[in-house]
Amino acid sequence: MERYRKYFLNKLSWFLITFVCAFILNFILPRLMPGDPVAAIVSRMAQGMSNATGVQAIYQQYTELFGTNKPLLQQFFIYVNNVLHGNFGFSLSQYTRTVADVLGASIWWTICLQFPAIIVGWLIGNTLGALAAYRKGGFDKIIMPISIFVSNFPAFGMAIILLVIFGVGLKWFPTSGGYGFDLIPNFSWKFIWSVIVHYQLPFWSIVLISIGGQAIGMRSMSIYELNADYVKYARFMGIKDRKIIGYVFRNAMLPQITGLALSIGTMVGGALVAEIIFSYPGLGFTLLNGVMGQDYPLISASTLIITVMVLSANFIIEILYGIIDPRIKAAQAD
Amino acid sequence: MAKVMLEVKELTTKYITRFQENIYAVDHVSLKVEEGKSLGIAGESGCGKSTLALSLMGYYFPPLHYTSGEIIIDGRNISGMEPDDVRKSILGKEIAYIPQSAMNALNPTQKIIHFIEDVIHAHESHVTKKEIYERARKLFEILGLPESTLQKYPVELSGGMKQRTVIAISVLLSPKVLIADEPSSALDVTTQKMVIKMLRDLMEKKLIKSMIFITHELPLLYNVTDDIMVMYAGQIVEKGTAEQVVFDSIHPYARGLMGSIIVPEQGLRDVKLTAIPGVPPNLKNPPAGCQFAERCQYVRPECKAMSVNLRELKGGRAYRCILSEEELREAYQNG
Ligand SMILES: Nc1ncnc2c1ncn2[C@@H]1O[C@H](COP(=O)(O)OP(=O)(O)O)[C@@H](O)[C@H]1O
Ligand SMILES: [Mg+2]
Repeated sequence: MERYRKYFLNKLSWFLITFVCAFILNFILPRLMPGDPVAAIVSRMAQGMSNATGVQAIYQQYTELFGTNKPLLQQFFIYVNNVLHGNFGFSLSQYTRTVADVLGASIWWTICLQFPAIIVGWLIGNTLGALAAYRKGGFDKIIMPISIFVSNFPAFGMAIILLVIFGVGLKWFPTSGGYGFDLIPNFSWKFIWSVIVHYQLPFWSIVLISIGGQAIGMRSMSIYELNADYVKYARFMGIKDRKIIGYVFRNAMLPQITGLALSIGTMVGGALVAEIIFSYPGLGFTLLNGVMGQDYPLISASTLIITVMVLSANFIIEILYGIIDPRIKAAQAD
Repeated sequence: MAKVMLEVKELTTKYITRFQENIYAVDHVSLKVEEGKSLGIAGESGCGKSTLALSLMGYYFPPLHYTSGEIIIDGRNISGMEPDDVRKSILGKEIAYIPQSAMNALNPTQKIIHFIEDVIHAHESHVTKKEIYERARKLFEILGLPESTLQKYPVELSGGMKQRTVIAISVLLSPKVLIADEPSSALDVTTQKMVIKMLRDLMEKKLIKSMIFITHELPLLYNVTDDIMVMYAGQIVEKGTAEQVVFDSIHPYARGLMGSIIVPEQGLRDVKLTAIPGVPPNLKNPPAGCQFAERCQYVRPECKAMSVNLRELKGGRAYRCILSEEELREAYQNG
């Protein structure tokens, strides 16, 4: 237990160090982009105004509001203070809306798209991989080449193929958005149906990509475990095959759980491609818009969410893993 | 007359490879082990010792297949039994096995006690966990293993402890025959001695009724087993008491095995130390005639021409050579 506490504290301090570094970079990098987003807002506000001093005054007012007239270091401390109070400021590109408002609206789209897709892809992939390892023969010969082929597709390739075949060609599903552009979000059947239909292409593009990789990983882990000496010993001690298969898949599964937690952690990053191609109103798509509009409060906040999710996922995996897998536990002792 | 615990008659098994080749790794092997006795099986690596061990249990998995012969355990012929009956009523219960790689024989993510529960539940369905724990605790106590081992994962045990734990688990159900496949070869000398002592203890404490001990070091068997059988290319080439095979072997291969290893044990010092040149034949295409002819320094032209039968002498002694005992002894006298 003492050892485990040490391990825990060690992981925790790395978590904090990484978090601080990432936090600073999240703040600085977007602000180093060339261009002046405040000027863009002002020119939008001041359309038709010919009075130069008037425009100047509005500009002054906005730089004051966003704090962009202060030195970067001071801006940073203000930012830290605000973030600690849960305040992420205004979005520059969608001004009058706050960053929290913009992200709050989009993050649910991402979670509802990605979370089920990752789980479904993981479950299907692992089941196929385990079956391929166990049944061998024809099943393996069909599943494996397909999995390898599919898993080597770049994510955007799969999204575009689905879009072209099922969206443009067969016209079975709409090709962009989270729901029909002519609808207002509400709880009517019409709206829900529209959401479901819009969901399919981005969802399957993510599921299909992840199935292949998971299946390949699970298959080789299972084959390795099936040939392990403990399988032979358990068999010759008269233990039922069904039980032994249980040992094998549990052991083969452990490394796969890391993969699952990691893809949940990197969910937002992973969402980018599918969301952009299908203009899905999630965090990825919002981040893209933020980058286009030089909206650095929005970029910083989105990347902060991504950072926290990735780091926490890693942290949780390492902590849980140390508990679930005695092999890791023993390795910590050295 | 002592009861026969294990009797094997002309057992032949083969591997069928992915390319449909047959490898006869156990070729018409017959043996007998009586209650309270132990049998050593020696031979170089690749001679079929492990395959024989697996074949003796009457439970076959691809690529290993049964071809012919009979296995009789304590009077019960198991050769024709349904695999699931063999699993439930024979494996671990009548005949138990300690694999060659006992280091890795335990599931790394399962506590020892949980594996023990699985083993017992595979054979007896109405035993509570508490009863199982009590049984395991008692057994570990008898065998001098700490009770705390039960709550550990295999990775938390040292090599020697793992080996001894596997041995303890193998005898949980008091099997009539225990087969130990090279139980000592991966260990250092001190641990090796401890393991051998433990196996002999099992016999003395009547936790098992008979034992088969497999090794590639023939001299190691002296003082450990009652009888010895030497295997070469899937066949028995010599059989006899430990005393006979170690100090007075008839077959040139058995003599070669004695000479090929330096053992600083008393009485073995004066044995001439010569390794046997060459390697065992590839069992995918075994040579015609005597399998050992290629490496034999007493080889004659007719050795490669005809197959050689096992010659039975009195007192259970046997050897496989076309030369008579006298001819061989004379040849050894002349160097
Ligand atoms: N799984 C297998 N498939 C095919 N051939 C095998 C397999 N296992 C062992 N063999 C062959 O069977 C022969 C005997 O092997 P083994 O019983 O392991 O010998 P030993 O235990 O005496 O070293 C060897 O020639 C080996 O190549
Ligand atoms: Mg072997």
